[in-house]
Amino acid sequence: MSVALIVGTPKGAAVLQSKDQRSWESEFVLRGWPVTASVRDDKGRTYVAVNSPNFGVALFTSDNLKDWKQLESAPRYRPGDRGNPEHHRLIAKEDFTGLLKSGGRFVDQIWTLHFAHGALWAGVSEAGLFVSRDRGQSWQPIDGFNEQPGRESWAPGFGGLGAHTILSDAKNPNRMWVGISAAGLFRTDDGGKTWSPKNKGVNPAVDSAPATTGQCVHSVTHDPNNASVMFRQEHRGVHKSTDGGDSWTVMEDGLPVTELSDGHHCSFGFPSAMDLKSGNVFVVPLDGDNFRFPRGGQLAVYRTKNGKSWEPLTNGLPADCYTAVLRGALSADQNGGLYFGTASGTVYGSSDLGESWREVASGLPRIMSVEAYAR
Amino acid sequence: MSIRVQLPPILRPVMGGERTVAATGSSIGAVLLDLKQRYPALGLHFFTEGGAIRHNIVFLHDGAMIRAKDAMAHRLKPGDEVVITNALAGG
Repeated sequence: MSVALIVGTPKGAAVLQSKDQRSWESEFVLRGWPVTASVRDDKGRTYVAVNSPNFGVALFTSDNLKDWKQLESAPRYRPGDRGNPEHHRLIAKEDFTGLLKSGGRFVDQIWTLHFAHGALWAGVSEAGLFVSRDRGQSWQPIDGFNEQPGRESWAPGFGGLGAHTILSDAKNPNRMWVGISAAGLFRTDDGGKTWSPKNKGVNPAVDSAPATTGQCVHSVTHDPNNASVMFRQEHRGVHKSTDGGDSWTVMEDGLPVTELSDGHHCSFGFPSAMDLKSGNVFVVPLDGDNFRFPRGGQLAVYRTKNGKSWEPLTNGLPADCYTAVLRGALSADQNGGLYFGTASGTVYGSSDLGESWREVASGLPRIMSVEAYAR
Repeated sequence: MSIRVQLPPILRPVMGGERTVAATGSSIGAVLLDLKQRYPALGLHFFTEGGAIRHNIVFLHDGAMIRAKDAMAHRLKPGDEVVITNALAGG
């Protein structure tokens, strides 16, 4: 079975394809565009999100990973939508002309794309959720999420106030989850009309936030067919829920725990991914938020098979490595393959659930996203 | 009135790789609105949600640099060429 990787970087996307997971063909596409996320729909069409501080946000699509066409629509707030200028990551500090001081709300990045139940979903910053039910030809804001009560207390993480994680329940189209840094995880049970914080048991990272929000969730993963069992890589450690996020418990047995900048002791990292066949879950810990590189320089992916404890997987990974793996840069191809990209532009792959690793590509710009598709 | 618009390299794939595109309008703003109407994908890159020209876009016309805030009303003559680029930053 062949595999395709869409590797997003600030300068374009590397499309890596292999028939044997050993030799790879590479093409660098969408040159000049920061590529932040991608997803494939149920018909095999790939969607890639790009953004530019100069020319805004857009989506490109391809049916063959060679020919890319920009869609004529993209997630955008309405002209009258009001936002908080302090929530913007890039634009606010470059707001020389005062556009944001009037409180207008702008989409400055698509953080994640998600396909479920025939619809395409986009999580953006300033934190919001959009849906397209016509495969990207038009986008509608989910007002129940974008205007939900309590939003005024949300605070951005270091990368901005981004809705970076969208999860869905394969058996219940009315249930979805959205994760925001640093507001926490939210769930709807009524198809997006109303949303509730799902952060009980997770320490807030924002002191001024209400107890129910202010958690700096970095990523969440689960099996959509067993959707209530969830694994959450938080700024303050890894947590597990067995009730759809109603409650969370720390799950760090085997992970490298360190002291964070605020004195809290826990594990730290960004991405998480699940192989749906085996149920194995993977995270890539860093040595706390002070250093943000692998402990001792040993790049390691950690795996849990039993949902209780973690084991390091280092075979084939460098032992003198001081880079990081960002939140969107780990992906399972759902055929036993696992791939991740580093902030220093190297892609590693495993075809045996992490037991051994090979370098797939190097010399790329900082890798922001990796999506792997078995074909 | 026919105006020739030169696109920045990053936007040329939107127009199938073309370096320039023809437009009509008596001002930069009118030209951009004409392009937006005919090529919605291109229009996404010119205007914010609020309808303003994105503030990092810079226009070159007749030897002058026109900032986004001044571009909507900036007058053009038939046969003019407008270069779209972006504000430079860094060092």
